[in-house]
Amino acid sequence: MALYILRRLVQVIPTLFGIFTVLFILAYLMPSDPLRAVLGEQYRRLPPEVIEGIREELGLNDSFIERYVQFLGQLLRGDLGRSYILSQDVSEIIAYRFPRTLQLMIGGMFVALIMGIPIGIIAAEKQYTWIDHFLMFISLVGVSMPVFWLALIAQMLLTQSKYGIALFPVAGYEQGSLIHMVLPSLVIGTQLTATLARITRTAMLEVRGQDYIVTARAKGLPYRMVLIGHQLRNALIPIITIIGLNIGGLLGGSIVTETVFNWPGLGRAIVPAIERRDTPVILGILLFGSFLFIIINLITDLIYALVNPRIRYS
Amino acid sequence: MTTAARPTENPVRPVTLQETRISNRRRFWRAFRRNRVAVAGLIIVSLMALGAIFAPVIAPYDPIEPHYTARLQPPGPEFLLGSDELGRDLLSRLLYGARISLVIGFVAQGVAISIGIVLGLIAGWYGGWIDDLIMRITDIFFAIPGLMFLIVWVTIFEPSPVSIFLALGLISWPSNVRMMRGQVLSVKDLDYVLSARALGASTPRILFIHILPNAIGPMVVLASLGVAGVILSESILSFLGLGIQIPTPSWGTMVNTGKAYMTTAWWYSVFPGLVIMLTVLGFNFLGDGLLDALQPSRNTR
Repeated sequence: MALYILRRLVQVIPTLFGIFTVLFILAYLMPSDPLRAVLGEQYRRLPPEVIEGIREELGLNDSFIERYVQFLGQLLRGDLGRSYILSQDVSEIIAYRFPRTLQLMIGGMFVALIMGIPIGIIAAEKQYTWIDHFLMFISLVGVSMPVFWLALIAQMLLTQSKYGIALFPVAGYEQGSLIHMVLPSLVIGTQLTATLARITRTAMLEVRGQDYIVTARAKGLPYRMVLIGHQLRNALIPIITIIGLNIGGLLGGSIVTETVFNWPGLGRAIVPAIERRDTPVILGILLFGSFLFIIINLITDLIYALVNPRIRYS
Repeated sequence: MTTAARPTENPVRPVTLQETRISNRRRFWRAFRRNRVAVAGLIIVSLMALGAIFAPVIAPYDPIEPHYTARLQPPGPEFLLGSDELGRDLLSRLLYGARISLVIGFVAQGVAISIGIVLGLIAGWYGGWIDDLIMRITDIFFAIPGLMFLIVWVTIFEPSPVSIFLALGLISWPSNVRMMRGQVLSVKDLDYVLSARALGASTPRILFIHILPNAIGPMVVLASLGVAGVILSESILSFLGLGIQIPTPSWGTMVNTGKAYMTTAWWYSVFPGLVIMLTVLGFNFLGDGLLDALQPSRNTR
């Protein structure tokens, strides 16, 4: 097992490096004149020497290689650079905003787990009945729904009395306020809920015919005990994998969800950063997001290997 | 994936290659038609395509010309789905919007599938360091959050149709490579491939004539699901105001504009979103149904 972990860790390094390179090239290609984006009309009135001075100070005049090596060096020391526009380090911005995004992701995950898995189990148990068909239809609808639209519908029906009832606040964030979390969590978790329901159903059906389930039943174990203790437990492997693969989706979904609900997380930070051409912030958030995704995948793989020893030897 | 022909009518008579192909296709169609979900998907997708193609004929009004006297009219006999803040008919705009969404869906997924097929074939066939290299690159693109990549992309390159096609294609290819490679690995050592090699067939011939047709089923499924994903991504981009900037209405843009009238004109953001969902649902149904039809074991279990 130790060897397997080591091998996986070593494999991650070139991937991380590649991601860094791809993202850096993208950021480099970005029409990176933050000055123009921020100053707008004023930009033209500034004397060229001043502009040149600021460009020099921000390192915008260095060659690609210089900037690449410099940034890589910074990164290895854990420094993500400084925002061109906000007087803040990128790592500070991430440290402030990531916990809020994480809070939403956990909310969405919670929704998906408490709804998706039971729906999948019920559908598998009632295979080919109208209940099964209905649940699977609903989950395909859930997968097909644009997140932003779902967010608007939720706002329309549950936050105002014109077309619905005013149960929840329309948008915004308040420290420790659960009620502000309800709608964004539901919205961000819908897609994963639907995916989990479908995967759980398939996995449960796959396990159902196995000998050890039949044996467990034949031993006279209570139905529910076999269902949860034997069947679900063995169906967990694909479920865990899908959860791991979809955490990246939650991160992506946070851009839209945070924008609609005005939630001060990472996703809400990236759109304005792009409008202002604030390259360090964009690059920092993208790098952070991708690294996070890789780490989560790695953890998923390790858990996978832990529950299924056959993997380790392949 | 594709099983050898097992003719049920007359098992004794030898089967020619021609017959094998036909019976395979017929069996597929039979399975497909029986699958109500797949048929529903095909109907939805076809209706959307027809709506897009015949938009100029069906649309009751011009999608761009404003009518200031008929602003924000609720759905009714005059405007079936209501009108927008400039008095334009929502239904007409949705019909024209279908053109953009469907074209983007097909072209971008075409790009993704082509990259996937070529890289997957190469990685699976040659193996070794070529395989390693391709798969590591695939991992990299797989790990970059797609939506963020898209947003950055449209900032660098203007959100013109071509750049959107490319960007959407670029974020959707990694899963195609993995699937294609897996398919190649599963048939590469089968007898028919070995015999083609023994007969001296060239590598491209083996790859495209012998391996690809036998691996195409799952790729079609993936493509259908992929079109759904691409249409969704494009709508998100438009919703954030970063989509294609042309006068022709895009569905995502309509939801975005309609957002401001949430408390006064519900139809404005509800209908465009509904149409996006229906289209995506259609492609998902189709993909799901194809998967069932291609894997008979999934039905009989």
